[in-house]
Amino acid sequence: MAAAELLPSVVDPDEAIADRRARLQLVGDRVAPMALARERTLPLLDELTGLFPEGLRRGSTVSVAGSGSTALALAVAAAASTAGSWVAVVGDPDLGLAAAEEVGVALERVLVVDPEASSWSSAVAALVGAVDIVLVAPRHRVRDAEARRLSARLRERGSVLVCTNGRWPSGADVQLEVMESEWSGLGCGHGVLQSRRVTVSGGGRGASARPRSADLLLPGPLGRPELVHIEAPALVAQG
Amino acid sequence: MVAPVRTLVAWCPDWPVVATGAPLDEPIAVVQANKIVASSPSAREQGVVRGLRRRVAQARCADLQLHERDEAREARTFEPVIGTLDHITPRIEVIRPGTCAVITRGPSRYFGGDEKVADLIREAMGTVLNGRTEVRIGVADGSFAAELAARAAQPTRLIPQGKVAEFLAPMRVAVLELPELADVLVRLGIRTLGAFAALPATDVLARFGSEGLAAHRLSSGLDERPPDARYPPVDWSVSAEIDPPALQVDRVAFVARSLADELHQRLGRDGVTCVRVAIEAETEFGEEMVRLWRHEGTLSDAAVADRVRWQLDGWLNGSAVTRPSGGISRVSLVPDDLIAAKGRQLGFWGGETEVDERAARVAARLQGQLGADAVRVVERRGGRHPGEQLSLVPAATVELRGRTLFDDPEQPPWPGGLPTPSPTRVVSAPRAVEVVDKDGELVLVDGRGLLSAPPAGLRNDRRRADIAAWAGPWPIDERWWDAETHRRQARFQIVTSDGVARMLTLEGGQWWVTAVWD
Repeated sequence: MAAAELLPSVVDPDEAIADRRARLQLVGDRVAPMALARERTLPLLDELTGLFPEGLRRGSTVSVAGSGSTALALAVAAAASTAGSWVAVVGDPDLGLAAAEEVGVALERVLVVDPEASSWSSAVAALVGAVDIVLVAPRHRVRDAEARRLSARLRERGSVLVCTNGRWPSGADVQLEVMESEWSGLGCGHGVLQSRRVTVSGGGRGASARPRSADLLLPGPLGRPELVHIEAPALVAQG
Repeated sequence: MVAPVRTLVAWCPDWPVVATGAPLDEPIAVVQANKIVASSPSAREQGVVRGLRRRVAQARCADLQLHERDEAREARTFEPVIGTLDHITPRIEVIRPGTCAVITRGPSRYFGGDEKVADLIREAMGTVLNGRTEVRIGVADGSFAAELAARAAQPTRLIPQGKVAEFLAPMRVAVLELPELADVLVRLGIRTLGAFAALPATDVLARFGSEGLAAHRLSSGLDERPPDARYPPVDWSVSAEIDPPALQVDRVAFVARSLADELHQRLGRDGVTCVRVAIEAETEFGEEMVRLWRHEGTLSDAAVADRVRWQLDGWLNGSAVTRPSGGISRVSLVPDDLIAAKGRQLGFWGGETEVDERAARVAARLQGQLGADAVRVVERRGGRHPGEQLSLVPAATVELRGRTLFDDPEQPPWPGGLPTPSPTRVVSAPRAVEVVDKDGELVLVDGRGLLSAPPAGLRNDRRRADIAAWAGPWPIDERWWDAETHRRQARFQIVTSDGVARMLTLEGGQWWVTAVWD
């Protein structure tokens, strides 16, 4: 082997260290999906972090309501999906797959499950733990006992359940509601839908109970959400 | 090189003529498609030979009796002749009516030599034939040489082992019964099998292909095909009877686990694995349920047992319509699509495969519970409508581990597709609505794509909303070449005053809500 390769004396040592750090970082990035599987939270789009004071905590339930809830639920799932998690869509065969892709959901890791009402609960229970994010759009009113049982299973298995149509009984860990929405780009007889400005208000339980609201473009002109304005009390260090 | 199997061929000359039942001392010929295929000895004396046209044959022999060929009759009359050989050897192969072949190895050892066997066969056939025709017998290595020996026999011809090539060498290439090949060979100056066999096999293969090579091997006194080292197809399936029939899934799964172990041992012993495994269950009343599961060598015994449990769970505890009427009495595992076991390369970092594995497992499990169509994954297609670009296919039909969606950046765009952002809800069962102008009149689009009036309101049976913004019509004329699927539509984007955006489609005078930006 040539000596020059063993002794890169011409290279600045600092530069060499920086280069190795960069390569190590690259390795770290590639291991990320596995490492994340053991972490407490799932990745979240930067635009949405203000709405989740604790981050997207594993084992939590998220209820999304209001006009525009489907787009918001997809945005919640997007970052984790990109990072390697599977997403299951239960009981919602009409979900716009192209929209999901534009938000950033990796469609190759999406399972669309369409159970009958009688087996809805057992299907969701089977998916919890096997996939990281379960998007549900129950066509029936979910009973309190059913919700409690699923919540317990979620906490045990570390998946996140997102209810996309607000039909989750009160007591979801994170509750988001789209309050106002306004489309832009479309005129009277001209133009095309470009983006929608929405105001999302958040509540929930525990640390997520802190009221907060954010103005988002959901979807933005490219399909991905964009943050316009966030209004949330400063983070208080909790003891 | 392995020599061809020593074979005895018994040939009854002029069988098509014999089968007609007419006395052979009269001039008789059998015709097929206006050509003579066989003739009696007395007809042959007058020049009626194979291949003559009917007219020519009648010209040569005025009192010739002609019979249409009837192959079924030939086979039928030959059957009792072969029947008498059953006590000599059980393995008789009818080459064609009038000619049969026997592998001599067993009978010769038993009766004491090929010659003895030939005599026995001639005697047995002779008693049935009762003098209608003679029996000529040839014994040689391989049925091709044996048949030629039979034709040259007076009345028996034994070609000693290893002397087949010598016997064949002076024969004309026409005996190969490959007219096109023989024609070319003759024009090349190769008139005998010996001369053909002297050519290098590789050159024959290059010039005449595999058919030529087979003929070359025959001419050299070898078997038509090179000896095949492959194993004959093996039935790899395993099955077990369950007695008394089981109504509990767990009992069947328990049996299935040991079956899976047996199956994996069998497959592993021969270095193969299967892409899919079919799980077949049968009830005591004969109802059957078969389902294919992806295997790819990755399923453990317990995983196969799991799949049996899931499959039967859905069946035994499913709806009353599909539920079987009795307990499971037999379960079998049939490997499908065998491939060489080369091991499976797992993702280097392990993580994603683990995640994928869990998703694949739950997908398989839910398919067992809910049916194959209830669990679907996304696949990319082409199309203009939001619901067409990406479609859902049953998860059982694709490999979920390490999946990537095919996305061709070179793929040309679909003209007429919608710009981003795409609707978040594509209504599979569109709802009928009415779009009205400010006076409450239904808005329509004429043949030139012009609106009758600007749309102002949207209503259905129950509700009415004002239209705040709209754009369109975007006409679309699809599949005009096919009357069945031809669609002519005008599409609109509208936003109602409550801030909801929808895609409306006008088709045949009827408005539909086809997508919603929720």
